[in-house]
Amino acid sequence: MTSGSLFKLAWQQTLSAGRLPIWRALLLALTVAIAIATLLAVLGDRLEQSLGRQTAELLGADMTLHSSRPIPQAVANNANTLGLETSQVAQFPTMIEAGENLLLISLRAINMPYPLRGNIVTQPAQVGIPEPGTLWAEPAVLERLSLEVGQQIELGYAQFTIAAKLISTPDRGNGFSNFSPQVMINQQDLDATGLLGPGSRVRYRQLFSGDPEALNKLENQLRPDLASGERLITLDSSNNINGGALNNASRYLRLGALLTLLISALTIALSLRRYTLNSRDRAAVLLSLGMTARQLQGLFLLQLLLAWVVCALAGTAVALGLEQVTLYLLDDLLPQPVPSAQPALYGLGALLGLVSLITLGLPPMVAMSQVSVMHLFRRSATPTTWGGRMLQLVAGLMLTGLLMLYLDDLKLTLILIASLLITAWLLGKLGAWLLRISAFALAGKHTLVRLLRLRLQQQQRWHQMQIPVISLLLALMAISLWARSDLLDRWQSQLPDTTPNHFLINIQQHERDGVDQLLQSYDLQSQLYPMIRGRITGLNGEPIATAFTEQQRQHNALNRELNLTWGERMPAHNRLLSGEWSSQSDGDEVQLSIEQEFANTLGLALGDKLMFSIGSHTVEGSISSIRSVQWESFQPNFYVIFTPGALDNMPVSYITSFYASGEQRKVGNQLLQQFPTITLIDIEQLLAQARSLIGKLSDTSGLVMLLTLLAGLVLVFTTLSQELDQRRYENALLHTLGATPQQCQQLDLLEFALLGLVCGGLAAALGEIALWFIHQRLVLIEPVLHPGNWLLLPLAATALFTLTGLLARRRVDERNSYQLLRRLG
Amino acid sequence: MNEPVSEIILSAQDVAKRFDTQAGMLELFREINLEIRRGETIAITGPSGAGKSTLLSLLAGLDLASDGSIAIAGQNTHTLDEKARAELRSRHISFVFQTFHLLPELNALENVVLPLEIRGTTQATDRAREWLQQVGLGARLDHYPAELSGGEQQRVAIARAFASAPDLLFADEPTGNLDEHTGEAIIEQLFQLNTDQNTTLVLITHDNHLASRCDRRLHLHNGKLQEWPQ
Repeated sequence: MTSGSLFKLAWQQTLSAGRLPIWRALLLALTVAIAIATLLAVLGDRLEQSLGRQTAELLGADMTLHSSRPIPQAVANNANTLGLETSQVAQFPTMIEAGENLLLISLRAINMPYPLRGNIVTQPAQVGIPEPGTLWAEPAVLERLSLEVGQQIELGYAQFTIAAKLISTPDRGNGFSNFSPQVMINQQDLDATGLLGPGSRVRYRQLFSGDPEALNKLENQLRPDLASGERLITLDSSNNINGGALNNASRYLRLGALLTLLISALTIALSLRRYTLNSRDRAAVLLSLGMTARQLQGLFLLQLLLAWVVCALAGTAVALGLEQVTLYLLDDLLPQPVPSAQPALYGLGALLGLVSLITLGLPPMVAMSQVSVMHLFRRSATPTTWGGRMLQLVAGLMLTGLLMLYLDDLKLTLILIASLLITAWLLGKLGAWLLRISAFALAGKHTLVRLLRLRLQQQQRWHQMQIPVISLLLALMAISLWARSDLLDRWQSQLPDTTPNHFLINIQQHERDGVDQLLQSYDLQSQLYPMIRGRITGLNGEPIATAFTEQQRQHNALNRELNLTWGERMPAHNRLLSGEWSSQSDGDEVQLSIEQEFANTLGLALGDKLMFSIGSHTVEGSISSIRSVQWESFQPNFYVIFTPGALDNMPVSYITSFYASGEQRKVGNQLLQQFPTITLIDIEQLLAQARSLIGKLSDTSGLVMLLTLLAGLVLVFTTLSQELDQRRYENALLHTLGATPQQCQQLDLLEFALLGLVCGGLAAALGEIALWFIHQRLVLIEPVLHPGNWLLLPLAATALFTLTGLLARRRVDERNSYQLLRRLG
Repeated sequence: MNEPVSEIILSAQDVAKRFDTQAGMLELFREINLEIRRGETIAITGPSGAGKSTLLSLLAGLDLASDGSIAIAGQNTHTLDEKARAELRSRHISFVFQTFHLLPELNALENVVLPLEIRGTTQATDRAREWLQQVGLGARLDHYPAELSGGEQQRVAIARAFASAPDLLFADEPTGNLDEHTGEAIIEQLFQLNTDQNTTLVLITHDNHLASRCDRRLHLHNGKLQEWPQ
């Protein structure tokens, strides 16, 4: 047979198969799988790149070296030889004077080229950096000091002309002092201001950008020699709120997509099984006409390839559409234009589809090609041969491999597969048992129950497969639905409307009562926390170098000064995890409460003694409690809280946050008027952005849910189609034995309803267990029961089974029972 | 002097078939000896379960006997592997089935072309068209099986079987799915083509009337194959 005629036959066979519901189910499942895999790959890449760029723009560079001392020129020279661009920045808090007004600002002195990533936006628009003798200032500076662009201003000993309003800028630096309104000058003017003297708190930054490999090289050179007070910040290590939320969302999307992929794979496997079983006659006829087994395999392989081409085109098109919708939804959250994905990624879903199709299609295809022409004379099931089992094993291994590639974690993959198999087996056994006892309980209530028991026995093999598949699917859908809403609730509750939208820092001891009174006069709820900066110097009498492992020593908390506080009460938004909250020192011993993650990373336990260096003092405290802290809560949060009195007589400032709305917002100006040295940070805008991000991400995950639902419906139909011939045969048999069509229909309905109830009940139980685990272990919220599940899932499953069953049953031709018996028997 | 071997298209010597069952070894038949000459028509009859289909599978080289040997066109099937037996079948054997087994997505002409294309025959379409004309379906070449009556479908199947010019044609209850009148017409055609083409026809049937039209009638009963009438 020429390859041309084989292709023609495959083409005709494919077109003809398009009329079969089971083949359509296969096409739909494959399309969904390709769409979801492509979407995820493309979107993941674009978001990751976008996030990287966003972070780079926030940093103003690809990597920055922070130091409390001037950074030696050798570092810049070294970077230059690696082909990197560099720039040096000096930044420090200082007071600015305009007439009688004083304001604490953060002064940034910069050099060309600057910034290395992102853009500075000014009004009026300016190019490069401020000319010597001029400065650019943020609107808050001008407003609070009642200044205009073009006016003169004093900075230390030097006079500057305000050349522009600084609208937005990357590289604001990190740390609280940099939340102050910022002013930017040319570094050439820095000496003239005379602001750099002993005791000035200057932070230096060296910015780097360029080729990732060169950056990597530089990072490897710099990191081992970082001195105390030096930090290297790369895109990966830099955190921002959007990054965290996007990472969470992308993990959630991956989970949703994984479910869809697994469901689709199951549908593909089942529909191929059904299709090849249906095609055994055709295979035997073709063999009888002289075709070889190899040609036959080639023919069906071609048919699979043709199906793949159609699904790859459709799936990729769907993915492109969904990609646009998602990007539209996330439009204002991502820097525009969003970087394009690597072109190869657009083919990834199709490739995955091809591998899955061939992997899942080969075992039934090989089994089918081993059918004998005798099948046409004497019907008998073609036994699964050793080769078939071998191929099933290979298919299983390949799917495991694919899953591993996708999850990038062998242990997780194996655990996932093993638990799925065990759960499925248990569900099958449990479900079949439930069906039997329900039928037993119903006996005597309905004349058909005796027949039902017979039916259950006949269909036992299928039920043991359908029950786990459908229960797992329903449970997974319920889990992803509830997990999504629980997660959203958590996000929302994390950022309720009354989330603090103002931070006040640098409140001095003598200003404390005044600030407190002013806030109270505006009815603002706030708690002032004393704050003092200190460094951890030892644990249980040992210095850091020996008390902690090398990995632990990388932790931020051991490499910089920490914000420390004390208090009689635990902050309301913290949760006590172990130990007891101490409101006073135990005799002479200072008690500490530390944050859980910090404790875990550094291996700290209750009773451990931490040594701190605060200014010229050394303080030791014993850990008496461990707390959990919601870092995203926009409340002042602390790694370490001391018992009151331990830090007396040390230079302290206060910090607080509060939520102000409407008239209350006027408190800002009044605070700055009355207490010019304190710093007020308005985070309303940041919060609005975070809130909108969460909303949009949930819309995006809704899209994935929709695909999961579609994949699930196709799967239900496919499993019910598996037994259709058998059901037709049994009904035909019952007809010939005198049963009426109504009785046959009732019997089917009774079976479907019972099956639905059992599957729904099992799914509800399974979902509840899984959600409990997710709440307890993953999202760390109080587990709650979902009573809706227990009602909705059995109802939904029953409706699903009955409707799909009736749909499939519609094709049963009851008039030709005898012929059907002959044909199918 | 014996007749030339080439005249005997199918022979079976001391053929037995046994199955391993849970209840022990089941012997379906034994000591089957048979010689079929080119151009003969043979009917194999017997009660249900006698093993007619199994015997057919052995004679057509689809399965191997437990004992004895079977030769198709002079080639002993026992000495061939599955691939070689498939090749042997492809060169010498065609089948006609009770339920026609036409491919539904192919029209009448394409159904007949298919075995020719599989065998790589040249001018397959022309030959197929001729064969359909011979069975009286020249006007229905582009009709699909669903658009043809049972009798017409069986005629397409017969055309398909003869198109590849087989030496041996096995037919399993070829009229089993047809009414008496149509069945009669089909049988008429089958026998006529058999005579014209000098093909050897092996029929499996329950129909005594049909069996009686064959040159020889073999009855399979109690594991023995006997010429009928003895």
